[in-house]
Amino acid sequence: MNALIEARNLHKVYKTDGVETPALRGANLTVKAGEFTAIAGPSGSGKSTLLHLLGGLDRPTEGEVWLDGERLDDKNAVERARLRLWKVGFVFQAYNLIPVLTALENAAFVLELRGRPSAERRERALAALAELELDGYAERRPNQLSGGQQQRVAVARALAAEPAVIFADEPTANLDSKTGLALIEYMKRLNREKGVTFVFSTHDPRLLEHVRRVVHLEDGRIAGEEVRG
Amino acid sequence: MWSLAWKNVRRGRGRSLLTGAAVAAVVALMMIMYGFSGAVVNGMFQNMTRSTGHLILRVKNADKIREFERGLIQDAPALQERLARALPGADVEAMLEVPALLAGEKRSRGVLLYGLEPGGRLMKEFVTKKLTAGGPPQDDGDWSAALGRALARALKVKVGDGVYAFVPNTSGIGAAAFTVSGLVALPESTMEARTAVITLAAAQELAAPNAASRIVIFLPGLVSPTQQGRLEQARSKLAPLVPAGFELLTWRQAEPAMAAILDMMTPLLLIYAVIFFVLAGLLVVNTVYLGLVERIREFGVIIALGADRWRIMRLVIIESLLLVLSGAAVGAALGGLAVWRMSHGFSLPGPLARQYAEFGLPVVMYASITPAQVALVFAFALLTALASALWPAWLAGRLEPVEAMRHVA
Repeated sequence: MNALIEARNLHKVYKTDGVETPALRGANLTVKAGEFTAIAGPSGSGKSTLLHLLGGLDRPTEGEVWLDGERLDDKNAVERARLRLWKVGFVFQAYNLIPVLTALENAAFVLELRGRPSAERRERALAALAELELDGYAERRPNQLSGGQQQRVAVARALAAEPAVIFADEPTANLDSKTGLALIEYMKRLNREKGVTFVFSTHDPRLLEHVRRVVHLEDGRIAGEEVRG
Repeated sequence: MWSLAWKNVRRGRGRSLLTGAAVAAVVALMMIMYGFSGAVVNGMFQNMTRSTGHLILRVKNADKIREFERGLIQDAPALQERLARALPGADVEAMLEVPALLAGEKRSRGVLLYGLEPGGRLMKEFVTKKLTAGGPPQDDGDWSAALGRALARALKVKVGDGVYAFVPNTSGIGAAAFTVSGLVALPESTMEARTAVITLAAAQELAAPNAASRIVIFLPGLVSPTQQGRLEQARSKLAPLVPAGFELLTWRQAEPAMAAILDMMTPLLLIYAVIFFVLAGLLVVNTVYLGLVERIREFGVIIALGADRWRIMRLVIIESLLLVLSGAAVGAALGGLAVWRMSHGFSLPGPLARQYAEFGLPVVMYASITPAQVALVFAFALLTALASALWPAWLAGRLEPVEAMRHVA
């Protein structure tokens, strides 16, 4: 199977007030379509930075990023935004739903950005919410939902757009362990049944027991990889 | 995007309401100002054209001709009839202005005798409406004259007394006695001290048989200086009938000073509009900018999900448009209601009304606003919305998703 995502010798250095802080120091990673991959590592190991670079949210200081056959690192902001819109889904640690929109509107938001007709948006968003067992919550606003439900809406938002890959940056960090585990199970089921490619980061070792492929990151470098049978 | 923008506008309810109310107030105020200016302009126009007419036929450059005879339209009735036939519905009146010496028992004054058609619109405007004593001039048997009050005082005559008019070196009888039929109050005291009105027939017999110094045309339904098209249409219809050596003037050409005053209203109101909308715009900038600052994280998420900078800028601009245009709609409704009420007639407070009457302002005025003026007010509102959103939109468009999502308000 061809690589869906390929990172070659990724370096990222942040500069603040003239002080350089390296976040990634030559990371290499390949993810194939349909994989369910966890990026594990302690805080400050560069997990979020790696996901941001892989998802085209930021540009590396050095190295190359390829997504679905397109090189990302040499694209400008507008081109990267277009690529994110059509090929990438994101789930963030803090849920990051739009507070004035209902769960249904949030789930349909990426489709709206793509300019899809409202009937199609509604149908696909409702289907995505149903996949995450949120059928009865479509008209609720984020402040009327629990943390776990909000994060499921965030997954539904990414899912409804049917992207090539969904990046989830510490999606369980704000959830209790039971709810966090449940969310990972939802993601696994979508990966298994619908072939959705997931790449998510976590520093919670308990979650890693449920993941087939784990990439370990330490001090901005890939320290190792585990693939369970 | 529109739905999200509207929800965002409603999110900062207090601030949006305040800004919307400011925009509404400006729009309502501008509409009332346009309505008021329409009332003033139309009122002054109607007041003025009641005495000047809409079109005036006279000898070319008559105002520069010194000799009385050379400035006359000979055989005026025939020309008057041809003009009236060409413009059915219009009132066509002749008048003859005669410089004369008017004498009472003990005193005399140089005056301008206005010969007007009895029962005509000019007679009504100059005499009937302005009588303070007696009645209009007659020519049934004895000739009579209506005198300006100041003139009557100067000549020490009153209604019923006799006065004598002398017009030497003309083709008329040159001198005649008149009975003072009435006294008129004119807006300007200098004019009142040198005006006497007699009938057209008496003026013609006295100074220039069958002649007129001007033929005045009143077009039906012409109530505003903005109806320039109708005026030009009538003018071109009459143009072939104008004999060589004569000119057909519009009220604008006949009264350039008044036309300039009326024309000043448009730029003056535009200046007011710019000032008011700039002030409202500052409030809008503040609201849109604060809305942006409070939602930087949210903008970061939207960018992360795939919105490019143009779309983000569009969202900010749409929010500004919704805020301003909803305020403008409320303002237009309130302003429209006020103008509608004023269109049924309104007066300035007593002393002001009397003071402004000197400048030709009617006591009762009728507000009017044209669709183009309403469109102009909305265009200003639209421009305010766009201009106010530009800076916040530019800032929003430059946000980097990762940094924006880390932002702490």
